[in-house]
Amino acid sequence: MTHSAHHPLPFISEPTATDSAISVRGLTKRFGEFTAVSGIDFDVARGEIFGFLGPNGSGKTTTMRMLTGTIAPQSGSIRILGEDVVASPEKVKRRIGYMSQKFSLFEDLTVDENLRFYAGVYDLPADEFVKQRAYVLEMAGLVGREKELTANLSVGWKQRLALGAATIHEPELLFLDEPTSGVDPVARRHFWDLLYDLAGQGVTLFVTTHYMEEATQCGRLAFMYAGRIIAEGSPREIREQHLLDIGDRDDSGRLRTASIEDVFVRLVTREREEAGR
Amino acid sequence: MMAAMLSRVSAIAAKEFAHIRRDPRTLIAVLIVPIMQLMLFSYAISFDVKAVPTVVLDQDGTSASRAYLQTYRSSDFFAIKGSINDLASVDEAFRNHLAQVAVVVPPGFGRSLAKGEKAQVFVIVDGTEPNAAQLGQAYTVALNQLYDNKVLVKWADRQGFDTTQLGRIEPRIRTWYNPERKSADFLIPGLMVVIIMIVTVQQTAVTLVRERDLGTEEQMMVSPLRLPELMFAKLLPWTLLAFVDMVVIALVGLYYFHVPLRGSVMFLSVSAGFFVFASLGLGLIISAIAPSMESANIIAIMVAFLPAFLLSGFAFPLESIPPVLQGVSYLFPARYMIVISRGVFLKGAGFNELWPQLALLGGYSLLVIALASVLYGRRAAR
Repeated sequence: MTHSAHHPLPFISEPTATDSAISVRGLTKRFGEFTAVSGIDFDVARGEIFGFLGPNGSGKTTTMRMLTGTIAPQSGSIRILGEDVVASPEKVKRRIGYMSQKFSLFEDLTVDENLRFYAGVYDLPADEFVKQRAYVLEMAGLVGREKELTANLSVGWKQRLALGAATIHEPELLFLDEPTSGVDPVARRHFWDLLYDLAGQGVTLFVTTHYMEEATQCGRLAFMYAGRIIAEGSPREIREQHLLDIGDRDDSGRLRTASIEDVFVRLVTREREEAGR
Repeated sequence: MMAAMLSRVSAIAAKEFAHIRRDPRTLIAVLIVPIMQLMLFSYAISFDVKAVPTVVLDQDGTSASRAYLQTYRSSDFFAIKGSINDLASVDEAFRNHLAQVAVVVPPGFGRSLAKGEKAQVFVIVDGTEPNAAQLGQAYTVALNQLYDNKVLVKWADRQGFDTTQLGRIEPRIRTWYNPERKSADFLIPGLMVVIIMIVTVQQTAVTLVRERDLGTEEQMMVSPLRLPELMFAKLLPWTLLAFVDMVVIALVGLYYFHVPLRGSVMFLSVSAGFFVFASLGLGLIISAIAPSMESANIIAIMVAFLPAFLLSGFAFPLESIPPVLQGVSYLFPARYMIVISRGVFLKGAGFNELWPQLALLGGYSLLVIALASVLYGRRAAR
């Protein structure tokens, strides 16, 4: 059995939909004349932390909205947890979670009321809610503050509460849209620890960000630019491969050590030059 | 399936009530302000005209003319501000706001009466004050009937200061259903409609835009929650509050202002249900198209507040507004409901008389809810 894992059957050219958390082929979205997403392909394996990077307006938020079934693509296929999201976006909704950079919490409700609300939206049974509520309060460090208004929490607490609310129904796949923007570095580090815990429990994480040092925390990355994916791989693969690509060597001909950010800046610059030509 | 739907809908409704509980301003705006408006409108903007300022011109100068004018002096409806010496002074009296009505007894009044003929009296009304004018006119007729049938009143209803507009009509006005012309009777059934319209449209318009600003709308789109569930659940608390409002206003009207309720409460409630539905639909449409909270508020005022007052028949009879605006008035649900409300309260009318209004209201609410769903669907696809 282990043998076959190393030698995939020859007629399977691409990873099949069922064994990956996300499988996207030829995904395209146009808004009028503007093509926001232009025929992209990628796969995310189960249990993976997948970083989705790109400057503002590159199409990453549009892609995420298509993946969550919020908007429909013009063409292409999306399989999430084995289900065809384009054909029936409702099927998978109970199994995915979403956390936005706005945190989506009701500031005039208490911690408890926010959790109760999202539990109700996901139709969580009462006993399940008791269990999950205890877990989330523990995780977010909000034990004893259940009755506090969300508005009174600092950004770091809100962020963790939002994560708790987004995972109250124990999703298999969690989408995070720039979850750490506006959060101080300490809280951001703490937040990533929580994400690793989730990944450790087998939850697949799809994270968009424009913090480059955050990107290195991900198992695998995709760079999006002008509606296309211009690089994909593990942070290390991307660094090595694209530094070679760009020919970034020092005087003695050795590859220069570069950060992910360097690679990203160079790739985008190159794309812009090509587009200008 | 049903259980899951119920769970989602009640989660949202519970949250909406929590919002309302947490922000007493909303509750005050929805429950206390209508009562204040009711009091304010019923007293301050009372359409009861008493003591209409009046000048008299006695060109006859007989004991008969003096006796006739004495009836005006002793009436509560008129406040005699003085006597004038010629017709030209009428203009002056109107222009200076000294009077809104002028009673002119022409020469020969006493002689005609003595001969048993109909005597003539001119009553000139300042048409720039329509309510006062209308009621001044009505009071004069009533007064003359009391005084003597032999007095023929000639009317001059003055629009602005155009002295050529002398009418030669003999109005015999009788006000049915509200013989004392007590304005509370007329006002409260209408005011109920206006207040409900303002509360529901404004609150629904804002409540969904707020959700969008917070990013919670996006969050809900990702959840198993469906759009119709969200819309229904968001409207539920406001529907309830609108009904509470309606009952409170009706009770205040019945027991405090002694407005009669002659028709069927059941019919009124069913109609009100349709009306609330239509108003909420309007609010939903606004929240689908408004880019921000501010604009939602402004559009809500434009759509709910102004037409409810001006184009519903609440303040002015719809027949008296320009034809174009009469046409526009069909676009807002208040006009149908005001006819129903007044019909049920004052005339004791029911389904047999009011079914066309009810049908229009029903059709209207279906149309509005359908349009709101389409607009929402389109927004969501973006």
